[in-house]
Amino acid sequence: MSMSEDERDELRRKFEAYAESREPTLRDELVTAHLGLAEYLARRFANRGEPLDDLVQVASVGLLKAVDRFDPGRGLEFSTYATPTIVGELKRHFRDKGWAVRVPRRVQELHLRLGKVVSTLSQDLGRSPTIGEIAERAGASEEEVLEAMEAGRAYRFASLDAPAAGDDDNQSMASQLGEDDPLLAGIEHRVALSPLIAELPKREQIILHLRFFEGLTQSEIAGRLGISQMHVSRLLARSLAKLRGSAEED
Amino acid sequence: MANDAEVRLSIPASPEFLRLARLAAAGLASRLGFTYDEVEDLRIAIDELCFSLVGNGGRPGTIVLRYWMQDDGLAVEGVGQFDEGMGTSPALSPLSQQILKAVVDEHELTIGKDGPEFRLLKRHVNG
Repeated sequence: MSMSEDERDELRRKFEAYAESREPTLRDELVTAHLGLAEYLARRFANRGEPLDDLVQVASVGLLKAVDRFDPGRGLEFSTYATPTIVGELKRHFRDKGWAVRVPRRVQELHLRLGKVVSTLSQDLGRSPTIGEIAERAGASEEEVLEAMEAGRAYRFASLDAPAAGDDDNQSMASQLGEDDPLLAGIEHRVALSPLIAELPKREQIILHLRFFEGLTQSEIAGRLGISQMHVSRLLARSLAKLRGSAEED
Repeated sequence: MANDAEVRLSIPASPEFLRLARLAAAGLASRLGFTYDEVEDLRIAIDELCFSLVGNGGRPGTIVLRYWMQDDGLAVEGVGQFDEGMGTSPALSPLSQQILKAVVDEHELTIGKDGPEFRLLKRHVNG
């Protein structure tokens, strides 16, 4: 992570300004300037059975926390300060997210590959692929593909109560969309159906809204939000499980 | 392919067995040529309806699922046979209704003679 002296000074000034003002635009700039570090660290965890884009998200959450807590007055380099925070976030992610049902390694691996296969096939075909088509492209049987889809839900029920990885990107997502965004506008209507919806992370609210209120397909949502379809599927399953969990407590 | 073929599955009325209900539905849907998106929708619907019967903690008893492969889609029926009844009559929250409306073509939750039961129909569009 080589940076010129000027750039370093510039960042230091921004950190000082942010420590003072807590200005969200400065925060965004500081996060963006260090995304490389988050990505670099996420890559080091990439061989443990979780898709890289998920890990980068988790690392970004750690990065956000580090930006918020960093005290430039103490003379430490930001990267020195942020690395343990980001690595801590990644480790926690693996601890919280362990596969609950014992999923055979072969199926886990297929599950991880599936995201890419589904999105390239959808692009090639211009529609959602059939399970048979996915199996053929992935070199697996249809049953294996179905097992692999199911494996996406195999996280522990208990971990649903824990703050979910990527939830802290609420803010960056919301600021990206802007408060007047029509995606957030229907929120009152949704909350009337279930007040619990308001407690979901913004991103999950948006996905829920697009899927169940606007009728977009998972692949359309994936395209719109720039995340993988598997990710949409996982987040949807998680939101619904959370809503069910809280509904019964009431 | 044997259309109108019927498959039956009986599982303990507990959340950890619902994956079998989803897998069976997904397997049959896949035989009918459903797309990935359609299979995902179906799994969400099965979850939503099964959870309305078993609740988050499960109940003593079983859920008997019947799947029919039809020319234009898959129909599923689930009956909850509980040792102690359900306490309250089954109901879908407005949110569940909205979710089901978005993912399947038809759905209902009623009280049958053996207990609470649901029915759903998911048509296969990209035929």
